[in-house]
Amino acid sequence: MSVFLQQLINGLSIGSIYALMAVGYSLVYSILNFSNFAHGGVIMLGAYFGLYALNLLSLPFMGALVVAAFAAGLVAVGLEKIAYSPLRKRNAPSLYFIISAMGASIFLENFVVATIGPTFKTYPEIFSTTPITFGAISVSRIDILMFVIAAISLAILVFIIEKTKVGLAIRACSYSARGSNLMGVNVNRIIFVIFLLGGMLAGVAGMLFGMKYTVYPQIGVITNKSFIAAVFGGLGSLPGAVVGSILLGLIETISAGYIASQYRDLIAFSLLIIVLVVKPSGLMGKITEDKA
Amino acid sequence: MLKIEDLNVYYGGIHALRGVSIDVPQGEIVTIIGSNGAGKSSLLNAISGVIKYSGLIEYEGQPLAKQAHKVVKSGVCQVPEGRIIFANLTVHENLKMGAYLRNDAKGISADFERVYDLFPRLKEREKQLAGTLSGGEQQMLAMGRGLMSSPELILLDEPSLGLAPLLINTIFEIILEIKAMGKTILLVEQNAFKALSIADRAYVLEQGKITSSGSARELLADTTIQEAYLGKKH
Repeated sequence: MSVFLQQLINGLSIGSIYALMAVGYSLVYSILNFSNFAHGGVIMLGAYFGLYALNLLSLPFMGALVVAAFAAGLVAVGLEKIAYSPLRKRNAPSLYFIISAMGASIFLENFVVATIGPTFKTYPEIFSTTPITFGAISVSRIDILMFVIAAISLAILVFIIEKTKVGLAIRACSYSARGSNLMGVNVNRIIFVIFLLGGMLAGVAGMLFGMKYTVYPQIGVITNKSFIAAVFGGLGSLPGAVVGSILLGLIETISAGYIASQYRDLIAFSLLIIVLVVKPSGLMGKITEDKA
Repeated sequence: MLKIEDLNVYYGGIHALRGVSIDVPQGEIVTIIGSNGAGKSSLLNAISGVIKYSGLIEYEGQPLAKQAHKVVKSGVCQVPEGRIIFANLTVHENLKMGAYLRNDAKGISADFERVYDLFPRLKEREKQLAGTLSGGEQQMLAMGRGLMSSPELILLDEPSLGLAPLLINTIFEIILEIKAMGKTILLVEQNAFKALSIADRAYVLEQGKITSSGSARELLADTTIQEAYLGKKH
């Protein structure tokens, strides 16, 4: 029982970080119908922004987190302007967007290698590394922090999407950008907002991830898992991205706890393949029904 | 109210509209009839700023904006062909999207009432996802959503498409009610007989060109129109 609880907590913690990253993929996919593979680069930069905000600007933790979020949000918006906006104006097919995204991802990684350097960097110790213990279960402070901050960030996102006017327009655009445009929605502005929101969450995720592990230019590779979590939950669906991420986190840690950690990815991805074979749209895929 | 002069639209190499000129006077129903592919939807999409065009589109004496969201802001709203309702949103949220550019909370809630009075079915299904509505209800929702932007001029694209005959009658009665609210309507229809019987003025569009025009009554009585569009033999 204690193994289970322990792995449950670990799984929720890592799953919540996957969720912060996965919603960025889903937001972009829901409106532009392509997978933004440059998202990993934004997460990686978020980890560096947080690190420098702490070290160079000597900001407190929360201040650095806000800086990382906004800086990463601006990078995401800038990427959209440079890499995707020209393609949108020409109505280019999705494949071009994906290639542009991959190019941007490679650029960001190498830009950091060339300017900052390829070495691993570690965050200063902000929170005590002694775990908190409840009986047989011990939880590291950073894991609790990751979960709490991810949960708050996602709650803010859900509030924006479900309760605000811009959120309503994002949902409408995800069904039909043309229809929203005819209702007076400036679709360019909605795209700006989704890149800003996705980028900010990527910044938060990058900083938390960097604090738990280390910071290096290839850190964005872990976003492959969050991308897979988004597909698992149903690409384009925000609840799907969150559910898929939490499930992926839980499956990973529980199989590591009960079987062996080498089997972790094998089991997680086998389950993914099964889900996609049985339900190709993912657990909560985008609604596409339409009556003409 | 709306004046179009020498409008030309190209899709790649295809010349979809060739020098179209039409007039839509305030408070009237003007209909554009024509067969499939004649350029009727292109005309509405040019007005709405969704596609590029050359020529003059003047609305209340001013050139109309060429960006879709600005066109809506100036009081011209399109109810598109195939409805394009937001299937993933509730009926109520769809109507709210219609009022996207408005900030007058009082006016919006008054218009909600008006739309629900006009379409009681929508009121019953307020909380339902729009994707679960029948085709006729989706058409009502698309029209209600258009009205929520509080337009002066409504562009209706094929409102009867794919609907059962009884429903078509209902939709055309509602179009007359919308006219009675003081709105001006530009109606594009394949169902020429229905369109001509409610319209004040009509234009016939053939292969991107206006081939005849006049009062709806005149066109209804015109033998060539009757043969080409109303299925009557002489």
